[in-house]
Amino acid sequence: MKKQLKITVNGEARQVLVEPYYSLLDTLRDELHLTGTKKGCDEGDCGACTVLLNGNPVCSCLVLAHAAHDGEVTTIEGVANGLELHPVQQSFVEHGGLQCGYCTPGIILSTVGFLESGEEPTEENIKHALGGNLCRCTGYSKVIESVLVAVKATGKWAE
Amino acid sequence: MADFQTIGKSHIRVDALEKVTGRATYAGDIYLPGMLMCKLLTSTHSHARIVSIDTSEAEALPGVRCVITGKDYPDQRFGSGALKDRRVMAIDEVFYIGEPIAAVAADDEMTALEAVELIKVQYQDIENVVDPLRALAGKSVDVHPDLEDFEGFGFALGGNNCTMLDADRGDVEQGFKDSDVIIEETYHTQPISQGFLEPMACVADVEANGRLDIYASTQGPYQVRAQLASVLDMAIGNIQVTAMEMGGGFGAKLRLALEAFPAMLSIKTGRPVKLINTREEAFTLNGPRLETNIYLKTGVTTDGKILAREAHSIFDVGAYLGAGPNAGVGHGLGAYSIPNFELRSYGVYTNKIYVGSYRASGVADMTFATESHTDVIAHKLGMDPLEFRIKNALSEGDTAVNGSTIPKNGLMETMLALKEKMGLPKKLTSGPNEARGVGISVGEWRSGSGPSTAAISVNEDGTVSLLTGSVDISGSDTSLAQIAAEALGLRLDQVIVAKRNTDMAPFTGPSGGSRIVYSQGRAVQNAAEDAKAKLLELAADRLGVPADALECFGGSVYVQDNPPESMDLGQLGRMSLSSRGGPIIGTSSLSSLPYAPVFNAQGAEVIVDRETGQVRVTRFVQAQDIGKAINPMGVEGQLDGGAVQGIGRALSEEILIDKETGEVRNASLATYLMPLSVDMPEIENILVEVPSADGPFGARAVAESPGFGPPAAIANAIFDAVGVRIKTLPLSAERVLAAIQGRTEDEYTVDAEELRKAETQ
Repeated sequence: MKKQLKITVNGEARQVLVEPYYSLLDTLRDELHLTGTKKGCDEGDCGACTVLLNGNPVCSCLVLAHAAHDGEVTTIEGVANGLELHPVQQSFVEHGGLQCGYCTPGIILSTVGFLESGEEPTEENIKHALGGNLCRCTGYSKVIESVLVAVKATGKWAE
Repeated sequence: MADFQTIGKSHIRVDALEKVTGRATYAGDIYLPGMLMCKLLTSTHSHARIVSIDTSEAEALPGVRCVITGKDYPDQRFGSGALKDRRVMAIDEVFYIGEPIAAVAADDEMTALEAVELIKVQYQDIENVVDPLRALAGKSVDVHPDLEDFEGFGFALGGNNCTMLDADRGDVEQGFKDSDVIIEETYHTQPISQGFLEPMACVADVEANGRLDIYASTQGPYQVRAQLASVLDMAIGNIQVTAMEMGGGFGAKLRLALEAFPAMLSIKTGRPVKLINTREEAFTLNGPRLETNIYLKTGVTTDGKILAREAHSIFDVGAYLGAGPNAGVGHGLGAYSIPNFELRSYGVYTNKIYVGSYRASGVADMTFATESHTDVIAHKLGMDPLEFRIKNALSEGDTAVNGSTIPKNGLMETMLALKEKMGLPKKLTSGPNEARGVGISVGEWRSGSGPSTAAISVNEDGTVSLLTGSVDISGSDTSLAQIAAEALGLRLDQVIVAKRNTDMAPFTGPSGGSRIVYSQGRAVQNAAEDAKAKLLELAADRLGVPADALECFGGSVYVQDNPPESMDLGQLGRMSLSSRGGPIIGTSSLSSLPYAPVFNAQGAEVIVDRETGQVRVTRFVQAQDIGKAINPMGVEGQLDGGAVQGIGRALSEEILIDKETGEVRNASLATYLMPLSVDMPEIENILVEVPSADGPFGARAVAESPGFGPPAAIANAIFDAVGVRIKTLPLSAERVLAAIQGRTEDEYTVDAEELRKAETQ
């Protein structure tokens, strides 16, 4: 039976009725129509559905919606400030960090989560932070380049 | 024209902002009022007669709106090419595990899934066929005993051979007699998935007048429209296909896939119906690739000239001929001039998932074999592998396999550029348990051709709207806009790329085979030239000078000898509305362009762990003849991505097939191992620019060529490192370790004799 879910998505308090078996991903897409979050496998293998839950990157397909009750979620729709892009988004645009775009929202959220984690942003740490995000188009070179430029832009680069 | 304003410079993709903000709309992102969800029931038997299908319990489930089976479709077969061997859904027989049998439309996905489980199918098993060599040799039952009745049958030998291609030149026997050294080998390549991140999706919505609106994830909207019309027995004009943003296709989404299921359910219910494939279905329903066995025999002189080649390849196509074995003939010689050859290529039915296209279909299989073989020959002759290649390289004026003359190209330039960048040959220093090696591979793909169209209209503010029917799968919208901008002397942001569907845009071939920038780009350039001529004519009329005294640049048309005398494009656009010729539209239509080869030379440095067999690619360099890089950042992105797909194919990717049932055993991204960011070296790209005669501004194709070289380059590097020659893909740690330890338990090693016997039965 559907239960009330209270959740803050991209800074807005939302209340929706969802089945207990619904994943956070299906809730975001089917109930809240935030379709920027993508479903690539529904098994936690590809990372396309990555969102930030209370600041941490998670595969939203592996999180039951009700497990996120009272939580704060950031999806790709909440990364930019209106029409003003986040430095990570800007960098992906300028450095060719995307092609088909299907993995892009997940990769951007993994990157934003990583930058906010306080972990030292070395190239190796960045590659590991994106280790759960599959991309079939770019071969990762320009993705990593985009992240490195963004890290430098945010002043967090420790060389 | 030496100085270009827009092309040749890196530009931000025209769709980049939509994609980084999550606004880009893919087929699965469509939610329509009253929309039903569709789920499929697929076969659990490899080869069986369907005794009965009972859908009554499923239909009785609350929330279920419609259940269909194969009998709900017209009695039609369709195919990917000439041979029509496939039904939308099984009717009385199933041919592989995963073949669709029924489809359900329900109020929500969970109800649809529940209903699927309530459908009861009774099967009666028939002997199945899994081994393609036995199938070709006539040692098993025929998968399709009625093959000869299928429409388009003609290139097949019959039995389980559904297509055979050949090419011969010179006197092969004499060529071998004249040779000093003859080398004979077999190679085996693995089943592989395109690995697109977006599972296929479709929304079908029947209109009140009976027309069908299809929102699809497709590379070929016009091909989907035509095939859908055929299997539904509808007029093409009654179907509209909108190609949504596409999350990767790589050949898998070229043709009709899942669209017929929601289409029929929408027709029956009068409601919109959505179907999104699961990841598992992405492996079983979308036509991946199956195994290929390749036999090669080459005769050379001691001074390193190739005199004769036999190349025989057997492509397992699974249950239906989704993609042919063309590459077996077209790429049997590699990038070399060989005077005498005999090329044979067979497509063989088995009871497995049917084979589709994947980024230069079959070329990766052939190139792994031919370029490993090239390395073997060079070593046997004691020659440097690159020098041996240079000595035998195709050059301008040579005759290609298909008889066409090789035009001016950059093959030599790519090989020399690779040599310079990698510093070949060199001996690499190794650690105690690690060995380092370097290997190369050279390959060819042709710039894709086929029907292409474009229209450009000049707006009242001097911007232009570009309309093409092609789907952007590679950044091509940006390149096409650059081509239009360059030809009209505009900035890129003055070209608007229209969103389109099959009702709106004129017919064009699919986005596949690396044809968009080359062929569609040519059409765009021609359309822009056409619009420009009309602009000049209008301005000439107004300025009172001949049109040929005018030039169009910087958003205005001006008198070449007196630039201040000018009119801006906005003025002309507005004026044209009431001019004699009316609003300005430039158009272009073409059916094919001449052969323009795209050569790519690649080099890999690897470290092999002698204790585990693990292979790590530490450096990867490639040089490709681009002709003219329209958008260098986009070109590099394509080269990076292609190379990494090839590295995945080389080292880790493999669809595991059950030897008894033919079933896919690892239909998940946890067990089908695609490269991750942590595994990959930075790809070093060299863009060689030897202009093609017909491509826009000399451009050649890009996307296909980087993908097929890595397996041979890496296998050759492994040989360089540890002295073992692996002839089976993938070059997994187990396989490499077994070879290092001298164990020959490789299950796939195919005896040359056995392979030759299979085809001569």
